[in-house]
Amino acid sequence: MTIGEGENLETIRKKLKELLVKNLAFLSELDPLKIKDDEILFGDGLGLDSLDAVEIVVLLQRNFGLDVRDMKRGREIFYSIDTLSRFIYENTRK
Amino acid sequence: MAESLTEDDRKINIKRRGNALGIGFFEILFRLFGLRGAYGFLYFVCLHYLLFDRMAVRTGLAYVEKRFRGESKVRQYLHVYRLFLNQGRHLIDRYVVTRKPELFDYQVRGYEQFQSLVKDASHGIILLTAHVGNWQVGLNFLGRLGKKVYLVMRPEDNPAVRDTLKVGDHIEIISPEQYLGGVLEIMEVLEEGHVVSMMGDRSYTFDTVNVPFLGAEAHFPFGAFSIAAAAGCPVVVLLAQKESDREYVVDMSNVIYPRYTKDGDKKSQLRQWVGEYAAILETFVKKFPYQCFMFHNVWSKQKEPVNDNR
Repeated sequence: MTIGEGENLETIRKKLKELLVKNLAFLSELDPLKIKDDEILFGDGLGLDSLDAVEIVVLLQRNFGLDVRDMKRGREIFYSIDTLSRFIYENTRK
Repeated sequence: MAESLTEDDRKINIKRRGNALGIGFFEILFRLFGLRGAYGFLYFVCLHYLLFDRMAVRTGLAYVEKRFRGESKVRQYLHVYRLFLNQGRHLIDRYVVTRKPELFDYQVRGYEQFQSLVKDASHGIILLTAHVGNWQVGLNFLGRLGKKVYLVMRPEDNPAVRDTLKVGDHIEIISPEQYLGGVLEIMEVLEEGHVVSMMGDRSYTFDTVNVPFLGAEAHFPFGAFSIAAAAGCPVVVLLAQKESDREYVVDMSNVIYPRYTKDGDKKSQLRQWVGEYAAILETFVKKFPYQCFMFHNVWSKQKEPVNDNR
């Protein structure tokens, strides 16, 4: 799947938050609208752990057609909602 | 996430049994006196550890108390002594297997099934081992497959142990202490169809679930199953037991296929797969009680230092 015409970074952020809340048990009680764009994903931020990263990798593959090979810059990409959204945006516009 | 060991814990562990000095000493004994001669010296060396290595004895007793319930303290200490002796033999064997593999006979269970899994491994394979038997013998055996194995272990873990694995030949290391526990790298090599070997009885940075093991609730990590379920790959349990002085059986016949279903939450499904794995280990240690070298109290709720020499 690639990002459709007219879908911008903001749309991706929204979609990503919804996907995370829907698929990660740890976040299931959160309201996606209340997650900040600059929220850090792991550790002190949303509190996700390495096994949630596994789920996120699969979500990115299934929902955006992104390959784990593209995620080499893991620390930068998986830092926050915003960095992950930008990664999706940049890699699905090709 | 589970708390990892401190640097001091690791330094202490590396100084203990199975370090480079010890392995070097037994290398010389093996060259001078052969396998049985090297084994013979273990009686003295292990007595020393029984008397002076309190952490090893404590972690050994944690297992012995569960495996040999209701026995007197004296007998329990004798069991720990036998554990040490057997571990010493396994360490010597591991060295010998990499240098003179022809000295041992090997039987393999589940090899054809494994070959067929490797052939169809579009999403890779997770090889789940444990600190029972001689898992390194099993891994070295896989060199014959011509398949690269990525081993998840800390690079700073006992270097002497790592050297006996011929790392860089058909084995490469993925550190669980890198960003996100190395899961991105693990997922990547699985996607390329490679084999990833992990320890199923040691949590490293992964969380654990409680499952029955030797009559009590024990804590085993579920990371391997979570990754396998996400990657869509099978988990092959790899065990290698020493049947006699010169014979090993490498068993890879147990395969678990973790796939989430809509019945029940993910955690309970993970618990079920970890339970299957723990049951396989329990069968193993019931049959080979002196080949359980976890030296880590898996029943303790507290994170305890691992007396890791494997």
